[in-house]
Amino acid sequence: MEQQRKQEPILSAKDVRIQFNLRGQILTAVRGASLDLYEGETLAIVGESGCGKSVFTKSFIGMLDKNGRVTGGSIHYRGEELTAYTTEQEWLKVRGKKIAMVFQDPMTSLNPVRTIGEQITEVITWHFGTEHEKAKQEAIEILKKVGISDAEVRYRQYPGEFSGGMRQRVVIATAIACRPEILICDEPTTALDVTVQAQILKLIKELQQEYHMTVVYITHDLGVVANVADRVSVMYAGQIVEHGLVREIFHEPAHPYTKALLQSLPQLGVKGHELYSIKGTPPNLFKEIRGDAFAPRNPRAMEIDFEEEPPMFQISETHWAKTWLLHPLAEGYRAKIEAEDAARKDKIVPDSPFDYSHAKKLLQVKDLSVNFKLGAKQFKAVDTVSFDIYKGETLSLVGESGSGKTTIGRAIMRIYGSNVEGSILYEGEEITGRLSREKAKDLHMEMQMIFQDPMASLNERAKVDYIISEGLYNYHLYEDEKDRERKVVAIMQEVGLSQDFITRFPHEFSGGQRQRIGIARSLVMGPDFIVADEPISALDVSIRAQVINLLNKMKKERNLTYLFIAHDLSVVRFISDRIAVIHKGRLVELAPCEELFAQPLHPYTKALLSAVPYPDPDVERNKILLTYDSRMHSYETDPPVWTEILPGHFILANRQEIAIYQKEIDDAAGRRAE
Amino acid sequence: MDEKKKMPAALDPLKFRAAVYDQIAGEDVGFSNYSYWRSTLRTFFRSKAVVFLVTAVLAMIVMSIVYPIVSSVDPRAVVVDPRQWNLRPSMDHFFGTDSLGRDIWARAWYGARNSFLLGFAIACSDVGFGTLAGALWGYNKKLDPFFVELYNIITNIPSTVYLVLLAYIMNTSYLTLFFAMASRGWIVEARFFRNRILSIRDSEYNIASRCLGTPMHRIAFRNIVPHIISLIIMEAALCIPYSIGSEVFMGFVGVGLPVDAITLGNIVNQGRQSFTLHPYQMLLPTAILCLITVAFYVIGNKFADASDPRNHV
Repeated sequence: MEQQRKQEPILSAKDVRIQFNLRGQILTAVRGASLDLYEGETLAIVGESGCGKSVFTKSFIGMLDKNGRVTGGSIHYRGEELTAYTTEQEWLKVRGKKIAMVFQDPMTSLNPVRTIGEQITEVITWHFGTEHEKAKQEAIEILKKVGISDAEVRYRQYPGEFSGGMRQRVVIATAIACRPEILICDEPTTALDVTVQAQILKLIKELQQEYHMTVVYITHDLGVVANVADRVSVMYAGQIVEHGLVREIFHEPAHPYTKALLQSLPQLGVKGHELYSIKGTPPNLFKEIRGDAFAPRNPRAMEIDFEEEPPMFQISETHWAKTWLLHPLAEGYRAKIEAEDAARKDKIVPDSPFDYSHAKKLLQVKDLSVNFKLGAKQFKAVDTVSFDIYKGETLSLVGESGSGKTTIGRAIMRIYGSNVEGSILYEGEEITGRLSREKAKDLHMEMQMIFQDPMASLNERAKVDYIISEGLYNYHLYEDEKDRERKVVAIMQEVGLSQDFITRFPHEFSGGQRQRIGIARSLVMGPDFIVADEPISALDVSIRAQVINLLNKMKKERNLTYLFIAHDLSVVRFISDRIAVIHKGRLVELAPCEELFAQPLHPYTKALLSAVPYPDPDVERNKILLTYDSRMHSYETDPPVWTEILPGHFILANRQEIAIYQKEIDDAAGRRAE
Repeated sequence: MDEKKKMPAALDPLKFRAAVYDQIAGEDVGFSNYSYWRSTLRTFFRSKAVVFLVTAVLAMIVMSIVYPIVSSVDPRAVVVDPRQWNLRPSMDHFFGTDSLGRDIWARAWYGARNSFLLGFAIACSDVGFGTLAGALWGYNKKLDPFFVELYNIITNIPSTVYLVLLAYIMNTSYLTLFFAMASRGWIVEARFFRNRILSIRDSEYNIASRCLGTPMHRIAFRNIVPHIISLIIMEAALCIPYSIGSEVFMGFVGVGLPVDAITLGNIVNQGRQSFTLHPYQMLLPTAILCLITVAFYVIGNKFADASDPRNHV
């Protein structure tokens, strides 16, 4: 590390300003951001969406959208001034060849109608003028490098034949085909499952070592940052507000924004208590920003923050932050808030776990299967799943994309018709199949759903008033117009929305506010049971905390029961009482929350737990990644059964495996006794 | 980095104390006051060609309605005096007269009125029935095979043969023409709307409505129609030039409206007969016809572009 400091940076951006012309207005997306990149290091740029992270790095390779341009500052790369480039020819010397980029969605960078081999070969011949046969050999080599088995066969396949993780590997292959010096990864794993994400991060690390690349990660996932980064730059409202070594950022954050980001992580929260959350969203960059951009959202901002823009203060050789808190005059104030923080931390005691001894079963799912027709073929999305939900608990359903977790949630909400088999009992009564109008009405009043994507789950063309009242209209749950309005306003206040919003359209809100509208829409019916289908996966870290807090608050106040569907185990641990793990349509393990984390039994659960990124660089770097392959089971001769191996701890296993798991439990118990 | 230089000259130590935290300002989001319709219209009217064409079309519609009311010239008035036949355009007859001494300028506006009416009627029926059928088709999976077959049957019969046949069976009249075109145009529209409805049918906000127990008719009117209304407008705009063009074509192959009906198709057709001697008799009405069809076509396409949120830059 120390050596690096003495080196010259290979890329150095200074006071870069990027402006966009948007609907006749000037948007200043990057407001004087500076950055140095050293050879062989890994830098992570973090911040909420809308902070200008992508735009900033895109300017290094001249890939800004047509209406945007660099209006100030300089970007030096190996003696070249990149901001002076104007033509595509000039950029092509650098783009792809020296600085390559990997995007979030692999499909945006792959051509779906050409084989992946052709696409990689083309990159090689284009940049180096290698003849076709040789380039083809090289392409196959690279495919092998990125961990694609049967590279010769895969070479002739189309992107559609690859899974999401494999596609991302192919994109990485095209990016490294020219041996770039700098690889910029823009949210490379956000669209992937945790297990795949861990593999991709490992792959990038290995490639970086082999090719001595400098890697820049753009991400909002602090767990990923802890895993990969040497240095971290925190970006807010188009400026780098803090940068330093990864340990400095995680252990001694200085800027209030960095602190807030870290505090709002559910991994660091204490069960049963409010998570720290950042209110609002990053500022509107159409307007001139005065002082510290973060001040309006910072409850502990100082008066000066609203008036003067802070300079960069140096904390250590490698650690800089742009906040007035570091000014000598602010010393007293800083000591005061640090003392407050420490005092608050000591006071927090986790809630006691949910008491199941007197719990009543609210929902019973027995041998539920959901079949879909895919052309002539039948496809089992959910395969004989059984579980109970007790009144007042939060049961989380965790699994990768395509595992059938959303399908279970929707089956419970009776979205599917005849393709559901098995039985679902709500308060002892069967709810699958046709129901009378009265019955259906009662169920709509008692069971509600919250959706994943706050953008897609609200009707764009309806006002908030209508969206929230929809359920009220359906069953005429109000006396007169005044009564309806009163109910809408009351629920809006409950979820923390100002009543002035009633006449606005959904697009005028931030993701978190939209999600709150969705929650209000469900709660206005006064339900007892809520299926929350990944309600926070599409949200930024800071907004996640708001929504989690709201869900927890509602649960306490209205005594709700949740079925919480998620793919992110870190969030699940914070909010759930029990966790069910689902793999390819079958439940593989179900256990009380802490027990599952302390003693996972099924190999899939173990793999899933090992892949979850944890926002602490020390923990993250020492973890061992486990993989799971369903071929390890010998289920042909000895089919698995859903067994209660410990009280309240279920597992899908055959007889032979049960014996192994039993031994594991006994060993662990023995160790604890010692 | 040189800190000193960036520091303001004097800092007030009193400013380094807690500021009042404004709950409302903290929540104030950087939302853009984007409105779908406003952006669509702005994008639409940004093009100068669109502004010109919309004005031209409006002017022509007004003219074709107002002219027959205020003008005293009878478009059917045949003149016996041969000196009044085949006159060149002049101040008395803007477009000249035809071989029977009828004023082409007057005929052109009566014709434009009739053609517009026919076009609007067909556009309304095609898009109207098309939307309804498309909604059924898209929403009800059981109806899918039936509609697919119907679509194949109707679209596989060549339109010329079908139109000629219908005109032969029924008497040539406005109603026949309307029936001939309206009876097959709707299915094409239905398929278009079916595809659009299919893509929004399973979106999360519709599932949310189902979870709330929203009845079908309210889902249709609150969730579906507002999302495809811009497409409906666009399709209707594209339908009008197509119907006017079809009418001209039918006149051309001789199965159109009776000769005494004044439509753009008939005027153009009659002008064609004396084209070599008196080209203006055909060219001037054709110019109006072209302006109408091209204008609607461009307007429809530009509106389709403008209604796509990706173009709202």
